[in-house]
Amino acid sequence: MSPQPPPSVPGRQPRAVRNALAVLAEVVAAGPGVTAKEISAALRLPRATTYRLLNLLVAEEYLVRLPDLRGFALGARAGRLAVPIVPPPSTAARAVLAHLRGRVRWGVHLASYAGCQGTLVARDPDHPSSEPHLLARHPYVSALGKLLLAETPDRPVEGGLRRFTEHTVSDPARLAAQLREVACSGLARQCGELHAERGCLAVAVRSPSDGSLVAGLALSGPAHRVAEPNTELVDLLRAHAGRLSPLLA
Amino acid sequence: MNYSTRIANQVRGQSPMAGLDRRNLGPMQVFAQSVSGAAPAAAMAVVPAIVAASAGAATIWSVLIATGLALLVAGCIGRFTRRMAAAGSLYSLTAKGLGAGPALLAGAGLLVGYSLLGMASLTGAAMQITALIGGFGVTPAASPVVAAALVVVLAGLVAACTVRGVRLSAAVVLLVEALSITLMLVVFGVLLVSQGIGVDSRQLVPSGTGLGAVVAGVLPALGAFIGFEAAAAMGVEARRPFRTIPRAVGATAALTGVLSLLAAYTQVAGFAGAPGGLAGQQQPVRALAAAEHLPWLSTVLDAGVATSFLACSVATTTALARLLFSMGREGVLPARLGRAHRRFRTPHVAIAVALPVLAAAPVVLIGLGLSPARALVPLLTTAALGYLVAYLLVCLAAPVFLHRIGELTVVSVAATSVIVPVLLVVLVAFVSTAPVSVAALVTGAVLPLVGARYLWMRARRPERVAAIGLYDETSTADLLGPPLPPRSEPPPGRGSAHRRERARPRPPPGPQR
Repeated sequence: MSPQPPPSVPGRQPRAVRNALAVLAEVVAAGPGVTAKEISAALRLPRATTYRLLNLLVAEEYLVRLPDLRGFALGARAGRLAVPIVPPPSTAARAVLAHLRGRVRWGVHLASYAGCQGTLVARDPDHPSSEPHLLARHPYVSALGKLLLAETPDRPVEGGLRRFTEHTVSDPARLAAQLREVACSGLARQCGELHAERGCLAVAVRSPSDGSLVAGLALSGPAHRVAEPNTELVDLLRAHAGRLSPLLA
Repeated sequence: MNYSTRIANQVRGQSPMAGLDRRNLGPMQVFAQSVSGAAPAAAMAVVPAIVAASAGAATIWSVLIATGLALLVAGCIGRFTRRMAAAGSLYSLTAKGLGAGPALLAGAGLLVGYSLLGMASLTGAAMQITALIGGFGVTPAASPVVAAALVVVLAGLVAACTVRGVRLSAAVVLLVEALSITLMLVVFGVLLVSQGIGVDSRQLVPSGTGLGAVVAGVLPALGAFIGFEAAAAMGVEARRPFRTIPRAVGATAALTGVLSLLAAYTQVAGFAGAPGGLAGQQQPVRALAAAEHLPWLSTVLDAGVATSFLACSVATTTALARLLFSMGREGVLPARLGRAHRRFRTPHVAIAVALPVLAAAPVVLIGLGLSPARALVPLLTTAALGYLVAYLLVCLAAPVFLHRIGELTVVSVAATSVIVPVLLVVLVAFVSTAPVSVAALVTGAVLPLVGARYLWMRARRPERVAAIGLYDETSTADLLGPPLPPRSEPPPGRGSAHRRERARPRPPPGPQR
């Protein structure tokens, strides 16, 4: 289609990437409902190239076709290109956390799952918690991360499974089985998978209206204590998660 | 118009296909669905001999041309499936290109194709299983009562696994089809090796075979590909439908082509010395196995074909149920068919209606005294007729669809202008050579029904005609951004589609306007 001779493959790839990004930017700039022809004209790209890039971006779900099949808009997956902006928890929610901290001798942490990514929004000031970026980058080594992974079992863990300690679950099949258990029981547990002596327990905070996963409430403590059944502790944790749900959803 | 009103004008809060197990099947499962629909194992055993009857030593060339044609059809289907995720397969796709009337014709073709292929695969599976049991020296296996009972049992199994969840049926299909292809590769691999290394050059540069003979062989060779579009019905359920479905259909055409080429080459080479060659053989693979003193290969072949038929029956039932489901949602068929099971998320009513019919027809045919092997022939030829009509229409629809959405390309026009005349010729040749009885009977029964239904809907329920081509549109959950104010709509799947349409007189936005 283009008048130039076809460039060699390595020279062509950067241009294709640039074009794809330009198409994405054009959909954002022109607003939803922009058509393939309009994008092609605005970017001065050959039509066939534009159609191919659009179909690729739709296949990867960064873009969606609107029901008239002509217009394009940003897909939900494009949200993963931006860092989710998570507001700090409300005073009422912080009061629930303070109440729980008063009743247990464990660290109490709260993570938000806005944008399908775990973000620590309230760390216990008196107890150490893991580095915040670990939750986003290696969700499979923390109880809060496992809760999120169990909710979206089909989403592949990006970047593979890295071993932090000898207890880290680095086998995908074992992790999948563990996540199924988490989805079943609603309780995630991590014993020494990130630091050998520490572990945590987490339960989900769900929206009262549609049951979607909003946040996770976690207790952190010594690994051997986490491994115990902790029935009463888990009940207490679930009760507080229930009180948090109308405040966070 | 600002951001949200521009979108809110056309995006619904919920997909019209809601109720199915949305976006939950991996690429391999979708691929297996398509491969099973084409049932390459059965084709490998039977098709080369039929092709050889006209093409002789040039059989592989006929198969090669047929593969090219199948890839072109896959390309035409891909132009739709890259852009819309439908459950109604070629019926919903045709609607977006050519509108309601041709869509109904394609839908009728698919209904006939899926139903009869389903019946044929149940019959074929029962026949192969009785042959397998018979091979172990159990005598009553050959009786028609056993064959009929097996058909009923198999239909029950198919019903159980298709209702229980699309993930289960897809896993079964993947496993069984993989087993089937492995068995067939063993059969043909062993035959090829035992025939000795060395290329049979007479096949590559055939002398004494005219171009006309090669072309005549293309028609039966295309039979090997029938059903390869089955993945197009998984639009709602595939995880990344716009990527996996076009790939699955294209790869199935390629895989079926390669397997058929292997089968054709092996068989033609094996009978090179025999008088009349491959064309004169009734059961070529069995004869080859016997000639090479490898009788166990026949058992492996039976098992390979039996598993292929089994997977095919699950795959076609899955596709048929989703076609009926789509038509139920649109109101073209009774709205009950458009219900989805709340827990299993499958079109259970459509399956419950379809499977008894699929099982009853073979039982009646066997009851009338037809042997399963003879019952297969009219079922398969009539099914092929239905599929060919649907393929023809979807290929014709592809460039029209692209033009409607403003994305017409030269390639799509070129592909259609090659494939449509070829398919027309194939269709005419098919009708003129097919045995009159069953195909004519089915056409005579189906066409007036479809025509009457269409005219009635156009006169009395124009909103249903406008609804034809419902697919899994983008809904608010798929969009980036804050949730839009919900439009008041009863959730589909519970209320009837009928009521839904009355409550919402505006036809769904589509390229028709």
